[in-house]
Amino acid sequence: MILQLSLSLAGIVFLMLLARWLGFDTDPRLSGPDEAARIAADAIAGFAPGDVAVAGDGRSALVAGSDGRVALLRPLGDRWVVRDVRGAAARVDGGRLHLALVEPMFAPADLDLGADAGRWAARL
Amino acid sequence: MTFPDPVKYAIPVFIAAIIVEMIAVRRGARGSYDWRDSGTSLTMGLGSTIAGALLGTTVFSIGLYLWEHRIATLPITWVTFALCFVLDDLAYYVFHRAAHRVRWFWASHVIHHSSQHYNLSTALRQTWTGVISLSFIFRMPLILVGFDPALLLFCGGLNLIYQFFIHTETVRRLPWGLESWLNSPSHHRVHHGTNPRYLDRNYAGVLIIWDRMFGTFELEHDDEPVRYGIVHNLGTFNPLWAACHEWVGMARDLAAARSVKAAVMTIAGPPGWVTGDTSAVIRARAGLSPPPTAQAIAAE
Repeated sequence: MILQLSLSLAGIVFLMLLARWLGFDTDPRLSGPDEAARIAADAIAGFAPGDVAVAGDGRSALVAGSDGRVALLRPLGDRWVVRDVRGAAARVDGGRLHLALVEPMFAPADLDLGADAGRWAARL
Repeated sequence: MTFPDPVKYAIPVFIAAIIVEMIAVRRGARGSYDWRDSGTSLTMGLGSTIAGALLGTTVFSIGLYLWEHRIATLPITWVTFALCFVLDDLAYYVFHRAAHRVRWFWASHVIHHSSQHYNLSTALRQTWTGVISLSFIFRMPLILVGFDPALLLFCGGLNLIYQFFIHTETVRRLPWGLESWLNSPSHHRVHHGTNPRYLDRNYAGVLIIWDRMFGTFELEHDDEPVRYGIVHNLGTFNPLWAACHEWVGMARDLAAARSVKAAVMTIAGPPGWVTGDTSAVIRARAGLSPPPTAQAIAAE
């Protein structure tokens, strides 16, 4: 049983390393507001995107919906995860907006929004 | 009569097939991989095997009890084997439909849909809580009517192996009219989609005829690429959270339920009932008509 388990774990590690070696380890970057708006609209049913703020590093964004919802985009592996962040704990610190969601296992977000950080914090 | 465990023998083939698919995708075949996502899928597969080994005896005992109280004894022949395979596939369809329409069963099955990728490693992203959710009950009537449990297990294993190979984007359509009666990579891609048009469609295991018969069939549209995953995609690759997140969510919603009806619907209602984003609501918001009837599909 222990041997079988060890072999299985070794097999998993081997396949993960192979995938990495083959280049399946990309981290996504947003090309701009249009892409962020499209991802948010695809992810949340009935979401009509309006204002968009893409973080300076292109690794996260906030998208305001016409109904008052605000969507956070953040990467997970080479894909994006989207959440409605209304009601999230927001803190602005030197042009960075820190967001903490109540959802378990959803790590806090840290967006470099520059001068827009305060305005977006006020929307949440 | 004893039967071999076909899945045990298929595991090396699964691994080889994943390697071949990875290389094919690297060389330009349709599809995608992410090493972290595949790591979670493979770990879920291993965990599912361990959970099965730990809890499988419970299912086996229930199966034996029903076998002792069966209403008939069907001999093991090629005919009963074929019949068992088809009826087991129908039982799988019923289970699978319930697993998407009843949150209790979804809490266990959601694991399989929690990847935003669709490749052969996704096929191994299997539940750890299938026994707890009682998902095995859907196959039990077959034992009661007289199919040997060993034959049923064998057929279930073959069904599982077939389904492994349809978790791929590298195959666009099956040839020779097979798409009309077999579940295919294309049909199952639809099943893994979160696009409103694709939500809760194509529950089949091996034979797509069940979806065509019962009005749950949807074609893959080449002008609408499938977005894989779940309505609220996971924010972590943590396998333990992947395994139990919906159970935790259901427990929280149950604790917050204000009425008996709300409590019952939290467990027995469709996923999304509490938050108001069931697949029916999402389809309606997208302006989609109700699902086509079996007659409409037959007329296509």
